[in-house]
Amino acid sequence: MNWDWVVSNSHQITAALLQHVQLVGLSLLFGFLIAFPLALLAVRWPRLYGPSLAITGVMFTIPSLALFILLMPFTGLSMATSLIGLTLYTLLILFRNIVQGLRGVSPIVREAARALGYTPARRLFAVELPIALPVIVAGIRIAAVTIIGMVTVTALIGQGGLGQLFITGFTLSFATPLIIGFMLSVALAVTVDLALVGLLYCLTPWQRGVH
Amino acid sequence: MPLTDDHRQRDRAEDRDTHDSSAIVFEGVTKRYSDGTVAVESLDLTLPAGELTVLVGPSGCGKTTTLRMINRLETLSGGRLLIGNRDVMSVDATLLRRQIGYVMQHSGLFPHKTIADNIAVVPRLLGWDKKRIRERVAELVELVGLDEALAKRYPHQLSGGQQQRVGLARALAADPPILLMDEPFAAVDPIVRAHLQEEFLSLQRRVQKTIVMVTHDIDEAMKLGDRVAIFAQGGKLAQFDTPARLLSAPASDFVIDFIGADRELRRLALERLDSLELDAGLTAPRDEIVARARSYLQQAGSSGIVVLDEHRAPLGWLDWETLKHADDRARIDSLPLKPWRHRLYMHDNLRSALNALISAPGEVMPVLNDQGRYLGVIDQLQLTRRLS
Repeated sequence: MNWDWVVSNSHQITAALLQHVQLVGLSLLFGFLIAFPLALLAVRWPRLYGPSLAITGVMFTIPSLALFILLMPFTGLSMATSLIGLTLYTLLILFRNIVQGLRGVSPIVREAARALGYTPARRLFAVELPIALPVIVAGIRIAAVTIIGMVTVTALIGQGGLGQLFITGFTLSFATPLIIGFMLSVALAVTVDLALVGLLYCLTPWQRGVH
Repeated sequence: MPLTDDHRQRDRAEDRDTHDSSAIVFEGVTKRYSDGTVAVESLDLTLPAGELTVLVGPSGCGKTTTLRMINRLETLSGGRLLIGNRDVMSVDATLLRRQIGYVMQHSGLFPHKTIADNIAVVPRLLGWDKKRIRERVAELVELVGLDEALAKRYPHQLSGGQQQRVGLARALAADPPILLMDEPFAAVDPIVRAHLQEEFLSLQRRVQKTIVMVTHDIDEAMKLGDRVAIFAQGGKLAQFDTPARLLSAPASDFVIDFIGADRELRRLALERLDSLELDAGLTAPRDEIVARARSYLQQAGSSGIVVLDEHRAPLGWLDWETLKHADDRARIDSLPLKPWRHRLYMHDNLRSALNALISAPGEVMPVLNDQGRYLGVIDQLQLTRRLS
């Protein structure tokens, strides 16, 4: 561990961390924006569920490096390439959990909302989504932690946040950047996970003491 | 009083003269599902405003579908359904539902909302201001007999009976003229159910809504309904009448079967003792002496005598066997009297009377006025005659 290197490269480390956070945040956001309407369609028309699950599942199983290489001819060594790739990886988990969360809303509760005069949109946002929230957030947590690890791979196409520290360490045969990159990556995953747990706790006072 | 009873009753009286705004009229209503099953077939039925109508029948008889067509949870396949003069199919379904209270079998409360927020659902949908909603919720919590402290809790923290009360409060929140109830008491245990039914009846006496309730329980139907509609399989109406008329003049064998073998006992439950002529009976004051009591009995040819205390409350039955061997000069209250285990008042029903008679000494039962004074006796023969 060479602390002098850490101090003299603190700018580079901070920039790598910020880029890492940015890539994770944006890919989760885009992933959610795609998975959410898709999940609504699959809940409304159950026949869509199987095919949607198959497609997002196939995307999840493509080796990450292969995916980035596949995208390169279209988007080059840009942030778009890594964002598209990372976003595709979040889809399966987010889609599956949003569908499960919405399906988990008791038909009796849904019927009550209808009978009391909720419009379909209001029913979705005021009743079904809040009740589905714990399952949806569980999905976001898994997706976030998965993506935080995966971002490092995008260093190979010139992106990669903390992954760049790995490459630096590897090319210089120098352990400090590797250790820093690893520790920050783990710390980020733990922080994000805890933050999501805390957020869910605040948003679902009704869940406390249920089990 | 939250629901301004006087005002409402005046309104209803005027309504009756003109046209009831909350009467529900089925005109040849049919419900056919896409697979061809007919749930309800050309139903003609008028549910009067301000009354509690119970829809009852075996499962699959279309009673629930009938209920659900009123607030358009089910769409009509044919015929017309009018509320007041308004065809429900001409009204926006969402707006219609906000004007009709709905209570479900399993309370159907929103698990993520507090009790207060659950009750406030319809007023919020209707855009009431916050102050008005808060006041209304407080009124309703009291009206349905909930502890105020529960208002901030969540549904899963309440018992089944409490949840059912919240469900009722939620349905009544915007003071709708019509209340639909789908097996509202079926999911609570029998003791709580009986209690909720009683409370619900007294609530209905105060609020006088047009209520339509579905149940599969004929006892509940007879107990709660001003009128009962009995459905037969395939959505056909077998009979629509008051409970008393259903028992005394059933329209078909199906109705007789459905009401059950204990139809006669049910009839007894619907009639009160003051509808009978009491027998004066043979009585003696407690300070009477044995010799005189004996001669009363011999003259009347009775097997015993009702002994009364100084307030004319019955002390017990004195039978011939006991009198026969007693000392002539003894006061009759020094002899072993047989007390009655039950007390019967003029406002009790004939079913309670029969129950009391089964264990009554001397096979007669004294009947009391509200002050507990003796009025006369009844025996089983009178009840039997009443039924035939």
